[in-house]
Amino acid sequence: MKPTRRGLMTGALTLAAMQTFPRLSHAQARRLVFATFTGSWEEAHKDVLVPAFRKATNAEMVLDPMLSVDQIAKVKASMSNPPIDVMLHDPGPALVAIDQGLVESYPVADSKHYADLISEAQVATGPAPFFQVVGMTYNPDKVKTPPSSWKDLWKPEFKSRVGITNLNSTLGTGFLVEIARMHGGSESNVDAGFQAIKDLKPNIAAVAANPGQLATLYQQGQVDIGPGNFNAIQILKARGVPVEFVIPKEGAIAFKTTIHIVKNSPNKELAFKLIEAALSPEVQEKLMNSPYLIVPTNAKVKMTGEIAKVLAGSVEELKKKFVFQDWKTINTQRSAWIERFNREIA
Amino acid sequence: MSYELKLAAPLAAFFGLFFILPLLILLYVSLQADTAMTSMAVSQFTRFLFDPFSLSVLAHTLFLGVEVTALCLILGFPLAWAYVRGPAWAQPILIVVVLLPLLTSVVVRTFAWIVILGRQGIVNSALLSLGLTDTPLRLLYTEGGVVVALAQVQMPLMVLPLITALSRIDRNLDDASAALGAGAWRGFWRVTVPLSLPGILAGCMLTYAAAITAFITQSLVGGGQMLFMPMYIYQQATALQNWPFAAAISIVFLAAVLAVVSVFNVLGRLSKAHAEA
Repeated sequence: MKPTRRGLMTGALTLAAMQTFPRLSHAQARRLVFATFTGSWEEAHKDVLVPAFRKATNAEMVLDPMLSVDQIAKVKASMSNPPIDVMLHDPGPALVAIDQGLVESYPVADSKHYADLISEAQVATGPAPFFQVVGMTYNPDKVKTPPSSWKDLWKPEFKSRVGITNLNSTLGTGFLVEIARMHGGSESNVDAGFQAIKDLKPNIAAVAANPGQLATLYQQGQVDIGPGNFNAIQILKARGVPVEFVIPKEGAIAFKTTIHIVKNSPNKELAFKLIEAALSPEVQEKLMNSPYLIVPTNAKVKMTGEIAKVLAGSVEELKKKFVFQDWKTINTQRSAWIERFNREIA
Repeated sequence: MSYELKLAAPLAAFFGLFFILPLLILLYVSLQADTAMTSMAVSQFTRFLFDPFSLSVLAHTLFLGVEVTALCLILGFPLAWAYVRGPAWAQPILIVVVLLPLLTSVVVRTFAWIVILGRQGIVNSALLSLGLTDTPLRLLYTEGGVVVALAQVQMPLMVLPLITALSRIDRNLDDASAALGAGAWRGFWRVTVPLSLPGILAGCMLTYAAAITAFITQSLVGGGQMLFMPMYIYQQATALQNWPFAAAISIVFLAAVLAVVSVFNVLGRLSKAHAEA
């Protein structure tokens, strides 16, 4: 057949459409999609979790890293045929996803590893494969005496040197609750926390828009001390930025990051297997070691290395040092707090 | 349907599907009473319009646009003038200078500004080593910082229309005004500025619209303490999952921007009539 202009055009358009919408060509049997977090989490999961899943199931899977809020938005937009099978959430977004009926409860009875998890990590709506820890970050070149308490942030010597984030992030919200507690407040009453942040204003050098931005501020010398996420700080340290992480004597703010099977997922069985792999001691032990340094939740994993040195060497020590906040109470008021932060601090 | 209209049909269909339809959905969402989105009401709009804080965010954002536009005009006009009236050998150099910002991504330019304005940035280290200040000045996370960064980022949008307008002016008019006894300044204000008004207005409109909606530069240079409309929408939509209120804010913002743009349009028509008269 002689190629006609119309024929060529149709062919080109079809190719372009297949290129633009690859899902068209294989819409049916879709591979398992796990929406992990971006950055170091994606890397850790690509290196350790995905191979473990492949070995256990012989099935292929896709990592589609995105923020919790984006995961919720995507699943919500197409609830009957979700584009994601497994979601990963910080405590706030997890409760939103559960409230909106986006997650399947975890088949606890079938799970091999669920009973081995530290009690805080056992959540029936979706267990926690790791904890995130917020403590104090400082630049050891400029802050000679390591801080020991959240109260140190208010010291006059740190005038215009403290960095915090606003309440859009889990880190900022957790920090507010923690300092409210320190001043006699609680998850249901953070007035004291707001007052303390107002008193902190002369020391605040920057209110970062998100935790990622906060971390880079240490790199630029814009801030020298403040609350920080253990894992974010490890990444900076590995790049040679002078930062250190310490747990203040009040304890570290700990979040359980939970993993969920998405409701109406076409790959429920594989999703369950992926989560089982994430909870297994083998995977968690690998992820605990350098360079990932992800805090394990399976009590069978023996804590060693940097995690044992900086955070906790045993489950008992972890339970003593980690402060888990009540996110159910926090979430009901979070929007009001964000408004209040906008009005009073901004 | 004429052939010309048929040719535009694919683009029209594209806009209909990916611009008009989403806009209608946005309007629909903004008219929901709550996040469950089960009943319709105008409560989201009344919540915004009767809340002094929300209104102050809107006013602050619109004023930011005025500041950036003014700075772009003050810095951009001489640049465009130099391009049009300068020696021929300078023109290629100047056009590269004007276009260079467009060739790098907004994110990269914004990060460059973070490095420039930081406590250990170029500005502060220069001031410190010259002995003009003892402690680093706070430049990042200030409104001044946001204005300067936005002005640089949006400058081409101002300069390019100005160059077009200025190069259309007949140079004999300068000589004519001088021959009729006008000084250089008088000639500039009475002849050049009125004739370049369409370019000035087009540049202002583009710069203004780009400056007030520049989410990346506003949030990275402004930090988490300064709240402008794009960040306000983001906060409500993603951090709080309050889509109806976020949609309502977006609609209000859109209306406010359209109002400003139509003022520019009216001015543009008036200036055209003035120039042709």
